[in-house]
Amino acid sequence: MSRLAEWARRYGALIRNAWLVDLQYRASIVLWIIWGVTEPTIALGIWWAIAGDGQVGGYARADFARYFFALMLVNQLTIAWDSWYLDRWIREGDLNYRLARPLHPAHEAVADNIAYKARSAGVILVVWLVAALVWPAVRLPLAPGRWALTALAVVLAAAMRFFISFATGLLAFWTTRATAIMGLHGGVALFLSGRIAPLALLPPAVAGVAAVLWFPYMLAFPVNLLTGSVHGTAALLHGFAGQIVWLALWVGAYRLAWTRGLRRYGAVGG
Amino acid sequence: MPPAITAEQLSKTFRVKVRGPGLRGAIEALLRPRYRDVHAVREVTFRIDPGEIVAFLGPNGAGKTTTLKMLAGLLYPTSGRVEVAGFVPWSGGPEFKRRIALVLGNRQQLVWDLPPEETFQLNRAIYEIAPAAYRERLAELVTLLELGDVLDKPVRQLSLGERMKCELAAALLHHPPILFLDEPTLGLDVTAQEAIRRFLAEYRDRHGATVLLTSHYMQDVTALATRVLIINRGRLLYDGALDALVARIARTKRLELVLGGGDGVTAETLAAFGAVKSFRFPNAVLEVPRQEAAATSARLLAALPIADLSIEDPPIEEVIRQAFTHGVEEDDS
Repeated sequence: MSRLAEWARRYGALIRNAWLVDLQYRASIVLWIIWGVTEPTIALGIWWAIAGDGQVGGYARADFARYFFALMLVNQLTIAWDSWYLDRWIREGDLNYRLARPLHPAHEAVADNIAYKARSAGVILVVWLVAALVWPAVRLPLAPGRWALTALAVVLAAAMRFFISFATGLLAFWTTRATAIMGLHGGVALFLSGRIAPLALLPPAVAGVAAVLWFPYMLAFPVNLLTGSVHGTAALLHGFAGQIVWLALWVGAYRLAWTRGLRRYGAVGG
Repeated sequence: MPPAITAEQLSKTFRVKVRGPGLRGAIEALLRPRYRDVHAVREVTFRIDPGEIVAFLGPNGAGKTTTLKMLAGLLYPTSGRVEVAGFVPWSGGPEFKRRIALVLGNRQQLVWDLPPEETFQLNRAIYEIAPAAYRERLAELVTLLELGDVLDKPVRQLSLGERMKCELAAALLHHPPILFLDEPTLGLDVTAQEAIRRFLAEYRDRHGATVLLTSHYMQDVTALATRVLIINRGRLLYDGALDALVARIARTKRLELVLGGGDGVTAETLAAFGAVKSFRFPNAVLEVPRQEAAATSARLLAALPIADLSIEDPPIEEVIRQAFTHGVEEDDS
């Protein structure tokens, strides 16, 4: 129990500091949140125009609206910036004092994730609630079971995106291009994770590629869960299994990159 | 008592990519990478007892920071053995890290945008310091480092000296028995340097901490360290007391004169007794071979109107410079 309390205190202090730093950068936080709202809004606007009064791939206007509102929220809850932090820590030597402390630097990163996710998702939730008051299309039915499953899928997706970002950031031990690689990943994810369009609308060949990779489990699966478009136990199990398998693989990639990278850092210096 | 720090035959070799100049060099390095071994630290052996303050001296690139990083567990040695506080640093884990503090003069752990107290609070949680102990230690550090009025100012508004003091406070809240300080007075003005030195000495006296520090400022060394390690090109050249080093390698003594009487004495007159380092009537400084210092003094006193004469060692900077360039072998000439 006291170990647990110590960890709670450590995380509490880390999250508190992250929020205090945030307060110093209010303007940039607001800009990031505006961007988090703008991107799905633009995508929604485009699909809204295309759908007209009919349907595109089974999606009517109201379906698109619900999809992109859910996407806005799930994206803020799962997004991870860690590769940028790690790249800086490694290149500029800020990793040194972090390695000299009795706390794995990943804990600081996780706490930071919790801090900014709580902050941005909170804002998005308010935006959504206000929108739902005036716009029935984006209202979700009260379905605690579905919400609970979505919460689980969001946690798994957030964990996976964290490990993808952390492991990719660790490439900075070997290359100065770690953030460029992460940028490339983000570009591919724009299409394959469902950020620009529901996966059902992708050309079959592209959807086929996405299906064998981790991208749909980062966003599309939890978004579909929340909007109620995952039908049947088989689809549900398939989604969670995919999340768990890819999460395990990315945890493996992170561990490999961490131990090898640290050994390399220890060999060549910071 | 077992030593606090042991290094035996400690070596560190980096493999670095060799790159020619210009675009051609860049392309060649890409297609046919060539590597070169850099021996940053070579077979360095020393032991430091608990409570000692030891200064690590050497020119830039001598291997000081590399050694410090090996001792702190950030780098692993290419060969040799290290033990710090009973741990092998590289594999010591959290228990080892609780026993050390690492302060890098050119890097900071203080959160830039927040007052230093926020970093202290964070370290309290990270190092699991009990609230009562935290309050007591913070109060002690605030008094010793005179931090009273900077605790609630954002770090970015602090002066370099104030920041370094806070850096030290953040690094010492968990009361580590072993301190590794890399250039703790780098870039500080004289007053701030003195404050840091006073603090380190006081902290060691109160808590018996072992301190290994690197510095380019000789005042740090003379004021704090009872013992120096001199390293150059990765090799340990000297390990011992500072005054013993001076006696061992200084070839000369300085005779500082205050002339009396009229101004009949010229630089030429003085040159007959030794090398004139400076002369502005009535003050003069002569440099003479070490073993002739006494005899030359006697001759000077007999031949010239001298109001005051003192025999001094050459400035410590000069001795160290000599050690770097010529090594520390005893001069028999």
